[in-house]
Amino acid sequence: MTISKPETNVELPTLEKFRNINRTFPHTEHILQQKRDGKKVFGWLCTYVPEEILHAAGILPVRITGYSNEVELDDGNAYLYINNCSFSRSCLQMGLRKEYEFLDGVVGGSTCDGARRLFDLWRHYIGTPFYHVLTVPRKYSEKAHALYLNEVIQFKEHLEEYMGFKVTDKALHQSIKLYNQSRDLLWQLYELRKSPSPPITGTETMEISNASYRMPKEIFNEWLKSLLDDLKHSSREHTGRARLMLVGSVLTNTDFIKAIEDQGGLVVTDELCTSTRYWGDRVKLDGNEPPVNAIARRYLNNYPCARMFPSDERFNRIVDAALKFNVDGVVSQTIRYCVPYAHDLPLLTRRLKEHNIPVLSLDVEYGTSGSGQIQTRVQAFLEMLEAKKK
Amino acid sequence: MKATGKNSIESILRACRLIMKMGQGTADMSPSRTMYYKMLIKYFSSLLQAKENGDFIAAHTVFFPAEVIYAMDLVPMHTETTTWMTALFTGECSDILAAGSSLGMASEICTPHRGLAGAFAIGALPRPDVMLWSNMVCDNTAKSGELVMELCDCPGFFIDRPFKDSQYEVNYLVGELQDLVKFLEDKSGRKMNWDKLSVIVARMDKQIELIRQINELRKSVPTPFRATGFLELLSVDYLFPGQPEAIEYLETLLAELSEMVKKGEGAVSRERFRVMSLFIPPMYLIAFLEKISQEYGAVSVIEPFFTFWGEGRLDPAHPLESVAKKSYMIPEMRMYRPMDDLALDAIVDCAQQYKVDGAIFYADVGCRHSCATIKLFKDSLNRIDIPMLTLDCDVVDPTITSEEEFREKLERFFELLEER
Repeated sequence: MTISKPETNVELPTLEKFRNINRTFPHTEHILQQKRDGKKVFGWLCTYVPEEILHAAGILPVRITGYSNEVELDDGNAYLYINNCSFSRSCLQMGLRKEYEFLDGVVGGSTCDGARRLFDLWRHYIGTPFYHVLTVPRKYSEKAHALYLNEVIQFKEHLEEYMGFKVTDKALHQSIKLYNQSRDLLWQLYELRKSPSPPITGTETMEISNASYRMPKEIFNEWLKSLLDDLKHSSREHTGRARLMLVGSVLTNTDFIKAIEDQGGLVVTDELCTSTRYWGDRVKLDGNEPPVNAIARRYLNNYPCARMFPSDERFNRIVDAALKFNVDGVVSQTIRYCVPYAHDLPLLTRRLKEHNIPVLSLDVEYGTSGSGQIQTRVQAFLEMLEAKKK
Repeated sequence: MKATGKNSIESILRACRLIMKMGQGTADMSPSRTMYYKMLIKYFSSLLQAKENGDFIAAHTVFFPAEVIYAMDLVPMHTETTTWMTALFTGECSDILAAGSSLGMASEICTPHRGLAGAFAIGALPRPDVMLWSNMVCDNTAKSGELVMELCDCPGFFIDRPFKDSQYEVNYLVGELQDLVKFLEDKSGRKMNWDKLSVIVARMDKQIELIRQINELRKSVPTPFRATGFLELLSVDYLFPGQPEAIEYLETLLAELSEMVKKGEGAVSRERFRVMSLFIPPMYLIAFLEKISQEYGAVSVIEPFFTFWGEGRLDPAHPLESVAKKSYMIPEMRMYRPMDDLALDAIVDCAQQYKVDGAIFYADVGCRHSCATIKLFKDSLNRIDIPMLTLDCDVVDPTITSEEEFREKLERFFELLEER
């Protein structure tokens, strides 16, 4: 298992607060309070939805996710059919079972087949007051940026119409500042993980990432500052049989990472849409340009999902991170029927092999905690990595 | 490796020639069907001989605007149709699917695209000079190009077609097409013939009009068009957009169907059930589906995602804009837009117009975005008391379902329709 110095591996109180957010989601204290205060809560379905626009309108944006554990998806299967990814089916099932009944709006993007169909069925069968779907281009060209900017402006106008007031540039600037602070703090956390013996495990980091899209950023930032302070002054040290990077489909179940770390693999970085691909890049304001332009540019250029073209943009970032975090191997987890990642895998594996970085490819279902077969394969992978190091 | 490029295309050609020979003089081989097989022979012969003739092969995925390829006198290779045809005419494609898997492609990647990569990997298809693809109509098409580029060591171009249909988005697509023309001119060394593209667009407009007229005839009771005839319309549309052969074929078919309607003749000897087909049936069961259609008097009268074109006309004076506009009129593109009440009402309306008794949804295990609509369609058709049968299958892989399973489920469905 991951080796920790027992005498220094003290529990961090703030970490427990993040865990509590994830344990109680979607009925967290902050969401319930927001509703009690008569304010709105919106759900968003994909990292290409510009959250700052919602925040600037006084809305609490939370990411719609599914059950972070293994459950039967009877309703999800009946409505979305068995051959759609278990993430979409799990999210829909939670919606159908009224777990998200507090939502005042749902915002999605045309990002992948699973996401757009989840949006279609949510709109038809669940009935949330506000809906909006953005066309999200798959390219990074100037024309694509212009199209996406137009989409973001239309979304903002639609939201203003629903809310009955204008979202001002001043409010957008404040939201950008707040969200950028989150991103900076999370990168500070990741910097600590570059250490040969980081003070935090991959499992613990995932708790923080998960909480980041489930709670008000104002509070999240304060908690994370406190945690970073604790970590910088702690003597916590974690080492493992191998340093690993986790890539691929959406992942929220921290038990999956724990199953890897229990066997001695130390996850030191990742490329996941619930983590670095969510908060990876800052919004960069350019002179006097309207803030909405900067937001649109950031969201299209952000750490790319496998849906984007060319795929080398994604592959280059993965290779770069793998080298910077000095990983011994990459664990790719692809949810069954998550086609964009399944298509990328053969090409990504070749790119990583060119850098002498081995890849363990795992086909999983969303919410899996790392079953016996996965443990066996991780064990064999770690043995191979250890042999390679000798 | 079992197959070679020539063998795969040649097997399609051999099968087409054999079907024509066996059907010669029979009622089954009508003039339009004869034309259809001659067209297939022409298409695949061009592909087979392209390298020897020094032609430039442009491989492209489904719904990619092949009008542009034809206007530049390049040889098109419709990748999915070639995979389907291999399954249709050879009865199996296990070797190319296995080759796809051995590349590391997961089993849930749909078989036409897994097979496509496999076919290139083992040389079952000729190496293209360029790979062209788009996100029309799903993630599989959007993601299929880069691996082929790497396998074939060829350049490629991806068209990013926006999800919605605002004028802004249509203009974006026109920009994509302009970039495509520049790319093809650069790679092939040939210039775009804009006059030719205008002629092709004019013909494409006529082609769509002819299909609309054919559909009008299919509203007749009894309906004159064979149960799986729509697959021929589909192939003509995919392989010959705006080509003179397509016009000739459709005009001939229209005349044949008109004559049948005048005489009160139907495609089946006694029409009992009028069926709406949703999505594509397995290619390897086409002959069986024709047979059971005759046995039970059940015939597909409309296919909203394959033959039921959206409203609008193409304008030859603005060819590239028309090619962009066409991508929003293609029947299958109903699947690539928000599936809102408007879209669902269109299906219900279609069922009423064509006096449908029941619907059959061919649930291709590899096709996520279509299967995710099953409940939406079932519930929508339920509103007007039309039952829908869902048949799990795979469009090219015969190991997913058998003829026996299909027969059992279809017989039960026909019994249900009979009771109603």
